[in-house]
Amino acid sequence: MVRMDKFKTFLAPFCGLVFGLFILMLIVYLTASLPIFEREGLAIYTTNVWKASENPQKEFYGVLAAIYGSIYTSVLAVLIALPLSISFAVFVIDYAPKRLKEPLMVATDIMAGLPTIIYGIWGAFVLVPILKEYVMMPLYEHFSFIPLFSFRPVTGYSYLSAGVLLGIMVTPFASAIIREAYRSIPYIYREGVYALGATRYEATKILLGYIKPAIVAGILLAFGRAIGETVAVSLVIGNVFNINPSLFAPGYTISSLIANQFGNAYIYKYMVPALFAAGLSLFIIGLIVNLAGLMYLRRFKYAR
Amino acid sequence: MNAIETEDLHIYYGKNHVIKGVNLEIPEKSVFAIMGPSGCGKSTLLRSLNRLLELNEDAKIKGDIRLFGKSVFDMDPIIVRREIGMVFQHPNPFPHMSIFDNVALGLKLNKLVKSKNELKKIVKWALEKSALWDEVKDKLHEPASALSGGQMQRLCIARAIALKPKVLLMDEPTANLDPVSARKIEELIFELKKDLTIVIVTHSPAQAARVSDYVAFLYLGKLIEVGKTEDIFENPKEELTEKYLTGRMG
Amino acid sequence: MLVRKIKDKLFIVGIATLTFLTILPLFHIVFSVAVEGLPVLLKGGWNFITGTLAPPDDGLGGIGPAIVGTFVLTFLASLLGLPIAILTGIYAAEYPNSLLGKATKTLLMIMMEFPTILVGLFVMQILVVPMGSYSALAGALALAIVMMPYVAVYTEEALRGIPKKYREGAFALGLTRFNVVFRVLIGLARKGILTGVLIGIAKVAGETAPLLFTAGGATRTYFEGINRPVGAIPLLIYDLVQQPYKNYHEIAWGASLLLLIIFLAIFLPIRLSLKEVKL
Repeated sequence: MVRMDKFKTFLAPFCGLVFGLFILMLIVYLTASLPIFEREGLAIYTTNVWKASENPQKEFYGVLAAIYGSIYTSVLAVLIALPLSISFAVFVIDYAPKRLKEPLMVATDIMAGLPTIIYGIWGAFVLVPILKEYVMMPLYEHFSFIPLFSFRPVTGYSYLSAGVLLGIMVTPFASAIIREAYRSIPYIYREGVYALGATRYEATKILLGYIKPAIVAGILLAFGRAIGETVAVSLVIGNVFNINPSLFAPGYTISSLIANQFGNAYIYKYMVPALFAAGLSLFIIGLIVNLAGLMYLRRFKYAR
Repeated sequence: MNAIETEDLHIYYGKNHVIKGVNLEIPEKSVFAIMGPSGCGKSTLLRSLNRLLELNEDAKIKGDIRLFGKSVFDMDPIIVRREIGMVFQHPNPFPHMSIFDNVALGLKLNKLVKSKNELKKIVKWALEKSALWDEVKDKLHEPASALSGGQMQRLCIARAIALKPKVLLMDEPTANLDPVSARKIEELIFELKKDLTIVIVTHSPAQAARVSDYVAFLYLGKLIEVGKTEDIFENPKEELTEKYLTGRMG
Repeated sequence: MLVRKIKDKLFIVGIATLTFLTILPLFHIVFSVAVEGLPVLLKGGWNFITGTLAPPDDGLGGIGPAIVGTFVLTFLASLLGLPIAILTGIYAAEYPNSLLGKATKTLLMIMMEFPTILVGLFVMQILVVPMGSYSALAGALALAIVMMPYVAVYTEEALRGIPKKYREGAFALGLTRFNVVFRVLIGLARKGILTGVLIGIAKVAGETAPLLFTAGGATRTYFEGINRPVGAIPLLIYDLVQQPYKNYHEIAWGASLLLLIIFLAIFLPIRLSLKEVKL
């Protein structure tokens, strides 16, 4: 006798609904961006143009600057988050005084959950002026011959500001992943490495080698968070169509482009499809990076 | 000469008094077994000898431990651990490192070798000494996680003796192994004691009888009896020891 | 040996410094929000909580519509999202080895990391455009999509953390699977599920991006129906920060302090009662 699992048939539609929503989302992005692909082909991703016009004949959009800015700022964020999150995880698990451990972890967990708009207002009104005054101006004045520092920081809104703010925002998140992995290292490995006469520095280095996949996962997922972040970035990036190597130049990111332009996009014939195409690129980059991150995390959890 | 002596050794975990005034004299180039029921404090005692116990912030040690006459508390713990190797109950080679790198690790950390060639030579020597060379010589650069449990444990022995320690601590080294692998480790112990002093912790009186020259019986943190293995096994002076040896105690 | 010792000391000092740098921004943020926001709340008084937005360069007025909107949106999002999320979580926990169960777990993890702005854009296209207007419903739907994976994953983990003996005991009583789950297991997992619900609520109460093109924002009218636009505190802050008026910046700081307090009021008790949270 085959007994139907009624419970399963009762629950399955709800899972189906979640899947349906996700697939519908992908379909909406594909269909809504279709007109721009038909009109421009891949030029939407490979050019840096933003010509809005009442006359659809004259419209042309290329979101390369936004893709460039998204990757630039997210890479900066990860470069900042990497040393901070690893140091934090190691310190809080192994070396912090006992009384400090829990408060330190609570602090970073608050940071991970803090509404992003609060980072945004602090970034725009507090962080940007500080960075401009104490970091960008001095570097520009003395080292402007280096391309990285070659742009005159007029407003302070820049790739650097966005990268630093994103770095601050994703560090607690990456750190939580690395922290859990580091904590999960069996005690026998700690004893094993110290029994060989290792110093704390050497022992930590070896133990970090053991959790390398989790570190990679933390960094990938942090990159995914950074690239998807919207409001905080759009308040400090400057929102200019710009492809500039300099850290101090203003730019755009995919998400801040959408946030800024979508409100009035319906006036134009092709701007909505162009923005959906930009969204689609974010969709795909995010999906790949996050899937890769989850894969590494799973590899770490099950391989050991 | 005694390799290790402890004098009125007390160990506390927070408020728990786990080792209560233990005095031991462990002669050089012998196998010294510490036996007792689980939870008697034998692993704790062993970890105090190479100051590994200090990784645990809650642990407090009173009394003295001397390595060849010199107090280990006057030495750098890193040096102490280099001169006293250790093998653990769970084989713990680093799974993300190759077999070769696992053996080479201690040598590299302590900067004990000057050239790649010397490193290779010592790694080979250590693997031969631990009767593993023939099994792994063709896969030295494969991850250590590919080995069997018994092979891993011999790899850990190789890793420890590569530093040429004067003393080797073994914490129930065969507890997690199959009988065949366990016998290989025991045979190895006979080989190794020609060059160094071995302190082995075991919960099995039979193993203590097989491998050791001297044996100490520890019960609830107290040293009940200590002496030559044959004396203790043939003619125990304490009732507790006799009970333990005859299997009337857990 | 000396070199190794020095390296070791430098290492400890180094990571301690970097740890300090990691949490420094939190203190700077809380400090800034308090210093800038508190005078606004004090000056604005009760009217700041209940009143409507002031004209440019003319006093503080109040952010009542945004506060009401945040509560309405969070409530509606919970109504839409929680049942589906909890049932999905139950499925993933009960059938972890089925194809759909595995796929669901992966999908939930992906959705947790999904850029929220994309959710907003999606809801705009499927709901706002056909309806012809921003609405509380659209905002709530976007937030519900953001909330679901958190609640579902917490539910799944809470259920899977229940020792097997309870499950077996319940089945041994001859209960149907439905009753085992709803009468016995849900009760045992209630703390974990509740945590997920609260984390989800804390998360969406502070979200801005999904609301940008869905809720529409309202600063002078309170809730007028689910088919009409509503405000939200994060959305209001985002709009005001971009305005050139000084009083709007002040209002934004005041609203930020309020949002911070709401967030901490939900989040801190959860975090302090647990060892670990997922965000």
